Amino acid sequence: MSTPVLEVDDVHREYPGSPPVKALNGVDLTVDAGEMLAVVGPSGSGKSTLLNIMGTLDRPTSGRLVIEGVDTSTLSDRRLSGLRSARLGFVFQSFHLLETLSALDNVATGLLYRGVSGRKRRSMAQKALESVGLGDRLQTRPTKLSGGQRQRVAIARAIVAEPALVLADEPTGNLDTATGDGIVDLLRDLNQDGATIVVITHDADLAGQLPRQVEVRDGLIR
Amino acid sequence: MNWRSKLRFRDLVGTSFLGLRSRRGRTALTALGIAIGIASMVAVVGISASSKAALLAELDAYGTNLLEVSPSSSGLAVEPLPLDAQPMLARVDAVETASAVSKTNLEVRRNVNDSSIAGVTAMGADPELFTTLRMTMATGRPLDDGLGSLPVAVLGEVAAIRLGIHDLSGGPTVSIDGHNFEVIGVLDELPLNPDISRTVIVGDTAAVEILGIKPNPTSVYLRVTPEEMATTRPLLKPTANPDRPAKVNVSRPSDFLEARAEVDRNLQNLLLALGGVALLVGGVGIANVMVISVLERRGEIGLRRAVGATRGHIRSQFVLEAGLLSGLGGVLGVLLGSAITIGYARRQDWVIDLPPFALAAGIGAALVIGMLAGLYPAAKAARLDPALAVSGGT
Ligand SMILES: Nc1ncnc2c1ncn2[C@@H]1O[C@H](COP(=O)(O)OP(=O)(O)OP(=O)(O)O)[C@@H](O)[C@H]1O
Ligand SMILES: [Mg+2]
Repeated sequence: MSTPVLEVDDVHREYPGSPPVKALNGVDLTVDAGEMLAVVGPSGSGKSTLLNIMGTLDRPTSGRLVIEGVDTSTLSDRRLSGLRSARLGFVFQSFHLLETLSALDNVATGLLYRGVSGRKRRSMAQKALESVGLGDRLQTRPTKLSGGQRQRVAIARAIVAEPALVLADEPTGNLDTATGDGIVDLLRDLNQDGATIVVITHDADLAGQLPRQVEVRDGLIR
Repeated sequence: MNWRSKLRFRDLVGTSFLGLRSRRGRTALTALGIAIGIASMVAVVGISASSKAALLAELDAYGTNLLEVSPSSSGLAVEPLPLDAQPMLARVDAVETASAVSKTNLEVRRNVNDSSIAGVTAMGADPELFTTLRMTMATGRPLDDGLGSLPVAVLGEVAAIRLGIHDLSGGPTVSIDGHNFEVIGVLDELPLNPDISRTVIVGDTAAVEILGIKPNPTSVYLRVTPEEMATTRPLLKPTANPDRPAKVNVSRPSDFLEARAEVDRNLQNLLLALGGVALLVGGVGIANVMVISVLERRGEIGLRRAVGATRGHIRSQFVLEAGLLSGLGGVLGVLLGSAITIGYARRQDWVIDLPPFALAAGIGAALVIGMLAGLYPAAKAARLDPALAVSGGT
């Protein structure tokens, strides 16, 4: 069997304070290529902390995160940034789009730190936008898009560099149910086309539509 | 494993510009602070350079080869030049013309009964002086050999103003020591010889015969072949007064004019320092605005980190953004400062001299100040915890 895309191995994360907050207490999780899984759990259970660690935006207090066979604990900030630019894609609840850029340029930002030429970035961004159904909104600014469309732009940005893993933290959190279902359908389509996707949600219905569910509770996987 | 972030330079510049474009109003206001500092410095340098250029042009017109030979004024007793000083000096090879004058203390009045003192004195002069000093007439005509012994006078520009004589209609006269002299002309400005501008010039013969002054010259003005200036100058003292060369003083009137160009140095430095303070304040303003910007843009910073920006990329983006912001102010300031210089020089009828170095330095200084001001906010931005940064909402 091939190397898993991601292995979380006995990861702890403690936020300093008095008393310290133990957000993760020894999480083990393996994600294989082509998988799509939902991470569910109540508020404050540690889902976002786990996703940030999986995405190398945060480091575990102890334990290992292995991405495509490489232990990330020894990597410098520069290497981790490189890893994110090449192998990871993020979708956030609050979209994080740049308001003064068109949808196309927002998506192209996903390739900005890859050293790709502007022309190549835009042509790849156009394809990504077409694949999320926004081929007719290339030059529209995010402020002129609906919430669902904005999240599609953000998803296009996450997949434009063809990452090994897409991490989505509450991608439907800011959307109504119907729009949220559309986003989940889109993520499933992308998964059908080969993308490996982890979706955080506290919506059990949504999680139920995905092939695999993992439940986090009190910093542990149940 | 090719996990490396790479940001092309042009993309870095584009990203920094994007930050400025996204907040136009703030960008303009912040850049204005720098622009004012740079504009004032450019204007100070430009105006003083233009004034100097104008002065040098004036020097060119009147020539730097004019020398004045006069009795040395050190010591109490001023020993007059010998009677034959002028012919002796005229005989020196490189001397093109030599004209003697006798400055007097005789007050010139509008008429005999006038008791007020205008501060104008009379001077006897060889009519050739008009050629030697390259005098031009505001009105009327100069003295010539035929007029040298007649009671006629030419007024210096300042003397004419002080005496209240503006034109020759009605045949104005002046009274020197009780003798009436007919005014036949008024001189133009004499930048090299402001002292003569304050006198009334009469012929040398008339000065001796009518006013009864001693015939010894008080000064001899020389035009010397420019190339032989250096070799000729040492010969002049012993030629003018072979017995007492030490009692002779040789000066070059254009030196005074040139010195005047340097006099304003102190003022210029003060103004430059003020411009510098304005720049400093502008720099602090930029640092302030950038710190606020970093706080507001946590989401953007987090997003950039998520798509692969290194801490260095974030730092460079903000340093460059601050530099460009300030550089924009610099360009604006250079334009403004140049406009001020051109406007001022036009009004003064000066040649416009905007040293390209000063313009480049203005923009360069603005860039550097901006980047320095950006260092702290940029470091703050680079240090942001990416997980925290993305958790905020925008
Ligand atoms: N930066 C932080 N500093 C201190 N404590 C934190 C920090 N981030 C999270 N925590 C704490 O860690 C715990 C887990 O938080 P986390 O955000 O991972 O929960 P979550 O499962 O994503 O919750 P939600 O569903 O509300 O988003 C919580 O108790 C939270 O208060
Ligand atoms: Mg969360």
